[in-house]
Amino acid sequence: MKGNTFSRTSNLAALAAATLVSAGVSAAGAADPAVADPNAAIDYSGTVSVLTKFGLQQLSPFFVNAAKAYEKLHPDVTVELIQESDDSVKGKTKALVASNSLPDVYFTWTGSWGENFVRGKRAVDLTPVIGPDTQWGKTLAAAAVSAFQYNDKLYGIPLYLDAKFMGYNRRLFEKAGIGEPATFEDLLAACAALKKSGITPVSFGNKEGWPGVHYAGQLLAYNVSQATLEKDFVPATAEFADPGYVASLQQFKQLVDECSDGAGTNGASYASALQQFSNGKSAMYYQEIIEFDQATAEGALKPADFGFFKLPAPKDAKGDIKAIEGAPEGYMINAASENIPLAIDFMRFVTSAENGKVLSAPPYGQPSATVGGYSADTMNPAVVEGLKVIADSSYLMPWLDTANPPRVAAAWLSGLQALIGGTLSPEEVMQRVKEAAASSK
Amino acid sequence: MTVMKHEQTGEVDRIGFTGPSRAERDGPGPATAILSFRWILVAFVLILWFVYYPIVDNFVVSTKEQDIFTGETAFVGLDNYRRLQADPVVRTALVNNTLYALISVIFQVLAAFVLAALIEGLSQERWRRFWRAVYFVPSAISITVAGLLFYFIYQPDIGLLDAALTLMGLDGWSRAWLGEEETAIYAIVAMSQWQGFGYSTLLFAIAIQKIPRELYDAAIMDGAGTWRRLWNITFPLTREMTGLMVIVTITGAFQVFNEVMVMTGGGPNNSSQVLGTWLYQQGFIENDFGYGAAIASVIFVITLLTGFAQLWYTKKRRVEL
Repeated sequence: MKGNTFSRTSNLAALAAATLVSAGVSAAGAADPAVADPNAAIDYSGTVSVLTKFGLQQLSPFFVNAAKAYEKLHPDVTVELIQESDDSVKGKTKALVASNSLPDVYFTWTGSWGENFVRGKRAVDLTPVIGPDTQWGKTLAAAAVSAFQYNDKLYGIPLYLDAKFMGYNRRLFEKAGIGEPATFEDLLAACAALKKSGITPVSFGNKEGWPGVHYAGQLLAYNVSQATLEKDFVPATAEFADPGYVASLQQFKQLVDECSDGAGTNGASYASALQQFSNGKSAMYYQEIIEFDQATAEGALKPADFGFFKLPAPKDAKGDIKAIEGAPEGYMINAASENIPLAIDFMRFVTSAENGKVLSAPPYGQPSATVGGYSADTMNPAVVEGLKVIADSSYLMPWLDTANPPRVAAAWLSGLQALIGGTLSPEEVMQRVKEAAASSK
Repeated sequence: MTVMKHEQTGEVDRIGFTGPSRAERDGPGPATAILSFRWILVAFVLILWFVYYPIVDNFVVSTKEQDIFTGETAFVGLDNYRRLQADPVVRTALVNNTLYALISVIFQVLAAFVLAALIEGLSQERWRRFWRAVYFVPSAISITVAGLLFYFIYQPDIGLLDAALTLMGLDGWSRAWLGEEETAIYAIVAMSQWQGFGYSTLLFAIAIQKIPRELYDAAIMDGAGTWRRLWNITFPLTREMTGLMVIVTITGAFQVFNEVMVMTGGGPNNSSQVLGTWLYQQGFIENDFGYGAAIASVIFVITLLTGFAQLWYTKKRRVEL
């Protein structure tokens, strides 16, 4: 009963937020898009507010320390941090947008997520200061900068590179007498061997929905051509008719059934699955390169026992088997900021080579997007190797849940949970995705 | 209270004077009346702005399609309400909220009432205190923390629930309670009963304590047994509290949010969505604030009607000593 009081508060908050929408959004989007001026004088006073995705305990010190160092350089400047986690940053950002309260600097993914801010004229066009010929642009990986390109203009400041790999426990693989699988079929065979040895093959938590979408995304890149995928990401041209979609979902279902806890994975969180892997209770865990250091930070899995490989492609894959799922992640500058030059300067400081080296090394392990922003001497060797795999990839397949419009993304999330639970077939999931895409046009 | 004293006893309340003052005899002057009205006006404006304006504005938002990023809005009339009728997840959410309400009324009203009566029927105060405390402890835990706690309890293989089932030889019952569409919402509702049961019991215990002891003594002398006393004395004389608890429980069940978000996020496959979480999903995940506002309107109407119905019933059946 007492809990109901809390619940009521949350609902009222949602109601209030809906009110804010009606009251606030009218002010947005009316002005011309803001363009960064490379010659603007920087007023080193006042406050820079920053919304980060580094809310996790092990990541949060990075921005805290960067803010302190910047404040030391410029004593009249105060940096206010709003640090959110991977899950909470989505809701937080939308609440801030709805109430026209976006901070000066805010986190963004690539794809349709970032495009929303550009469409709403809420992001500063950074082309004059971050373009390939500019002083700052030359210090950043060009491919990472161009991932935030919309309408031929650059809007994002990439902070680190990210991609998805299957991490594995070398000792458990040895115990089961298996090596790194080269194909998807080999992976299924490895799962069978691990199970025979009494080892959980893959720890997988899909309570949030997006971990399953990440598996599906990589399999889609293997089974559907890049051109078709990119056409289907856009609501106006989306069809989702390629047979590779259904094939990918069949493979995904097979993987979940044969390598993990099956339907039970819908009740386990992504974090608890990582914990299971870190504690040596499972042989594999599909994770982002930015989580390599977390997987071996504490627990039974030691860095020397940690290995990784790209989710192997099926033998008869009709898409691009050199593609990898991943994207840089970065920040945008609020077009309504009162001190755009200062906000840009702060991010220029954060993306310096020195800060990049700190970010790339343990305990953060986020491979910096800054040229020279990492040193193999201080980094986890697995992260260094992972960066090489990313560099050799032919295509960076964006995260499905940020590449697609929200309604289509929601259909993927719930549809894959239903597929895992056995209540929808791959064909039915795709039907649901098609309907969501049609209603998003 | 001072006025009451004068009306009933006329007792001395100021040194050297008896009876009401001239100001009290003559009633409040125009200046006092204006001053009093000023404070009422402030409260009225605050209530209008923070309570009634958002409700009205929510209805306005529900008739629009809005893009929060661009700020563009388009009037769509009742389209969002038509969408509600065809949305299968809204149907799931309504069923889940109704289940939540029914189960909560059974446990947090009926069972809590019986338990409170049993506790208050104990002869020794120390035992009454002890059992009240035992049942109240879960209510002292935040619903979010309780949700996290039960998330681990429900985990297959490593959770306490499955361990207990295994100990009892019921391994076959072991399952992913939060991961399966058939069980997810029931697992959440069960946690909520555990968390709220003690609070309701305590409120009923307070209501029962107010019943004069003589009524029970007289009933005992007339040969009434435990259940007869419960039905003929305790129940009628706690009817107002029971009515209130039913209102609070049902409206709370239609406003539930935190526990679902923490434990399943509405999944798997939207099977544990309730109106509150589906509202959040539409507004904050799918950027469809107009549709989210339409869902909020449905919640508002349901809880308002529940409140009115219960108030009417309680007033009609009120028993006064």
